[in-house]
Amino acid sequence: MVMPTGTLSEDGIHIDMNHLKTGEVNLGTSIMAITFSQGVILGADSRTTTGAYIANRVTDKLTQVHDTIWCCRSGSAADTQAVADIVDYHLGMYGTANEEQPTTQTAAALFQELCYDNKDQLSAGMIIAGYDPRHGGSVYSIPLGGSLHKQSYAIGGSGSTYIYGYCDSYWKEGMSEAEGVDFVKGALREAIKWDGSSGGVIRLVVLTNEGAVRHLYLPDQGYKGPGTK
Amino acid sequence: MPGFDFSNHNRNAALHAQGVQLPKATSTGTTIVGAIFDGGVVIAADTRATSGPIVADKNCEKLHYIAPQIWCAGAGTAADTEFTTAIISSNLELHALSTGRKPRVVTCMTMLKQHLFRHQGHIGAYLVVAGVDPTGVGLFTVHAHGSTDKLPYVTMGSGSLAAMAVFETQWKQKMTREEAIKLTSDAIQAGIFNDLGSGSNVDVCVITAEKTTLMRNYITPNQRELKQRDYKFKRGTTAVLNEKIITREEISKYVTVHELSSDDDVVVVEKMDIDA
Amino acid sequence: MTSIGTGYDLQNSVFSPDGRNFQVEYAVKAVENGGTCVGIRCKDGVVLAVEKIVTSKLLKPGANKRIATVDRNVGVVSSGLVPDGRHFVSRARDEASSWRSTYKAPIPLAALAGRLGGYVQAYTLYSSVRPFGVTAIVGGWDSEAELGVDGQVGSGPSIGAGGKVSGTKAGGPGLYMIEPSGLYWGYYGAATGKGRQAAKAELEKLDLASGNLSLEAGVREAARIIYVAHEDSKDKDFELEMSWISSTEGPTKGRHQEVPKDILEEAEKAAKKAMEGDDEEETTAAEGETMEE
Repeated sequence: MVMPTGTLSEDGIHIDMNHLKTGEVNLGTSIMAITFSQGVILGADSRTTTGAYIANRVTDKLTQVHDTIWCCRSGSAADTQAVADIVDYHLGMYGTANEEQPTTQTAAALFQELCYDNKDQLSAGMIIAGYDPRHGGSVYSIPLGGSLHKQSYAIGGSGSTYIYGYCDSYWKEGMSEAEGVDFVKGALREAIKWDGSSGGVIRLVVLTNEGAVRHLYLPDQGYKGPGTK
Repeated sequence: MPGFDFSNHNRNAALHAQGVQLPKATSTGTTIVGAIFDGGVVIAADTRATSGPIVADKNCEKLHYIAPQIWCAGAGTAADTEFTTAIISSNLELHALSTGRKPRVVTCMTMLKQHLFRHQGHIGAYLVVAGVDPTGVGLFTVHAHGSTDKLPYVTMGSGSLAAMAVFETQWKQKMTREEAIKLTSDAIQAGIFNDLGSGSNVDVCVITAEKTTLMRNYITPNQRELKQRDYKFKRGTTAVLNEKIITREEISKYVTVHELSSDDDVVVVEKMDIDA
Repeated sequence: MTSIGTGYDLQNSVFSPDGRNFQVEYAVKAVENGGTCVGIRCKDGVVLAVEKIVTSKLLKPGANKRIATVDRNVGVVSSGLVPDGRHFVSRARDEASSWRSTYKAPIPLAALAGRLGGYVQAYTLYSSVRPFGVTAIVGGWDSEAELGVDGQVGSGPSIGAGGKVSGTKAGGPGLYMIEPSGLYWGYYGAATGKGRQAAKAELEKLDLASGNLSLEAGVREAARIIYVAHEDSKDKDFELEMSWISSTEGPTKGRHQEVPKDILEEAEKAAKKAMEGDDEEETTAAEGETMEE
C-alpha cells in the first residue's frame, strides 16, 4: 500500500510541505540573544542536520552583518545564509554611502523586509542583536511569518521550547557581562540537553562599545572553556 | 479551448495526493571527501555512477576542474554537478580575467551557493569545493539548496557516513601531504566497501600552493578478475555437412568482376581536387 | 559674457571652451528673479521663510502655499520657477518615502540633501532636459529621540538597553541649499532669490555659528530679513509665508509645520516696525557673486 504524501482538498489545492523541503539542510537549533548592562550577548549551539544526520557539528550560527550588528540563524541553512548575505551587503553599502554607520534598527528593518516579503519561500527564524553607541545594545526577533519584535532578550529555534521556563525565572534586566554569559550558557546547556536537534559546542558573541568578542564552550570541557580563546 | 491547459497539473496533484511518487532523477550514489593538511588540501571521490539499482558507469570522474588551483568533488544528480561546475568554472575564469587576480576559493563557493540558491534546490548538486589561493587554503561543502559549511575535513554523498567515521577516528591537525592522501583515500574506500551507492576506484586530487596533482584511479581495489571460463566454442565443435566452392567464372554470370592490379588502383568514383 | 552667441549656450550638457555650462548659468538667472527665500538653522529648530510676490489681485490671500512638507520632519522652499519647485518637492517626497520603505525610519536630512543634489545634477548632463530653474532650501530636524522601527510589533521592552554612551550626538537641526548645478552645502543660514544679497548680509550679522539663536527669535529674524530683502522691489505687493521645525520637546514636536498665525503676525509687525526704524541707515550689500567675463 502506498502512503499518501499530501492532501487534496475539495478546491483541488494540494499542499505537500514534506515534498517541498526534503533533503534540505536545517538548523534544528537553539539560539538566543540578550541585552545586558554594557550591550548584547548572542548565543547558539552548533548542530546542523539533514534529516537524522548531523551535517556539521561545529556550525557557526552567529553571523556578522556589520561591525557590531550580528544575527542568530535558525531554520533552513540555505535561506538564512542567503538572507544574512543580502543584509550584510546592504549594511556595507549603507555605511559607505551615508557617512554614518547603520544601527541595529536599520539591520532589523532590512531583515524584516526580506523575511516578510518572501515568507512563502523562506523558512528562516532570525534574532538580530547589535550594539551602537546611541541606542546601546538592542535585540530584535523575527519569527517565521516575518513580524518584528523588539525585546530585552529573545530565544529561538527548536530547542527554545525547552527553556522558556528557565529564561523566565532566571532573567534579570541589566546584568553584568559575567552574569549575562552565565545566563545564556546555562539556558543553551538546557536546550542542548533536552532538544535532540541541538547539540555540539556553545558559541557566544559579546557586543559592546569595545567591539565584538567571541566565546567558545566545549562539551568535553563541561561547557566551561576555552571561553574567549 | 484557447489558453494554457492546467489539466495535467491537476492530474499530477491528484495522483500525488493518492501517494504516487514523482519520478526520481538519476543521481550518483557517491562518496566524496576533502581534508586540509599542512600546506594544502586533498579531495577524493569514488568512481561509481548509478541509475537506480544499475551501475551506469564503473569508472566515472567526480573530481571537476574549476580553476588550476580550485577543484570540486560532486555528488547528487550527475548532470547537475557536471554543468554547475562547468558554468562556475567559466564565470570564475572571466572574473579572474577582469580583476587580474587569481580566483579565490571563497569566490567560487559564493558563486556556487548563489547559483544553487537561485534554483531553490532543483539543481541537485552537492559539492565539496577545495583549493589554494593567495589568501591560503580553502575547503567548503555546498548543498543543493545553497547552504555552505567551512570545515577542516568534510564528506558528502550517500557514503558520507562511512567516510566520516574514518575521519572522526583518524583525522588529526597538521597532517603531512602523504598522511592526508592516505586518510582521504581510506575514507573513500570505506564508502566503496560499505555503501551500496559507491564503488569501483579512488580518484584523488592534491592542491598545494605550488601545484595541483590529479591522481586518477589512485587506488583500484575492484579490478575485475580474469574469467576462469568463457563461452567460446572450440574449432570443429560444429560438424561440416557439405562444402561447395564457387569460382570467379561462375560469379561473373551474376555480377561484373574487375581485376585490380594493386592497392593504389582502387576505383575512384569521384575525384576531388586538393590545393597544392 | 562674450561667449554668448558662440553656440555653447544652445544645448544642455555642453561645455564652453573655458569650462562653463551656460544652460546652468541661465537657470541661475531664473532663480535670481524669484521671490526671496530664507532658511535659518537655530539651536532648537529650523525656520523657513519666503517672500511670495502677489502677481494678481485675483489671487486668494494665504492660498497657493510655497513651502512644502516632504516628510513629517522636513520642509522645502524654493526660489525660481514655481513648477520646477513643485517637481523638486515631489522628487524629495519620493526619496523620503523610498527610504522609509527600505529602512523603516525617517530619512536623515543629510542623506535627503545628497540624493536631491544628485537628482538636480543629473539634469545638467543630458541634452534632452534642461536644468532645474530653482534653488531650494531644505530644512529639517533629525529626531534626537530613539524611534522604533516602522511596523515593529509593540513598542519594545520598557527598560532601556544597556551600554549607551552618554552624550552621543544624535539628531538635531539641519539646513541645506541646493542650486541648479546640483551643488549643495549645509548652512547655518541660507538665502536665495531676488533679495538674497541683502538677506545674506543680515544673516551674517546674526552669528548663527555660535548656536545661541532660539527658534522663536529665529522666526522674528526670518520675517525681518524677508522685509529687508523686499526693500529693492517695494513696488510689488508680497505675502510672508513661514514654516518651522522644532526639537521633539519644542512647539512643533519635531514636525515641519506652518508658523501659527498669531506668531507670524507678531513677527511681521515687529519686522515692519524695524523697517521704519532703520530706513535711513540702509546700506547696500556688497556685490560678491556677480558673473564676470
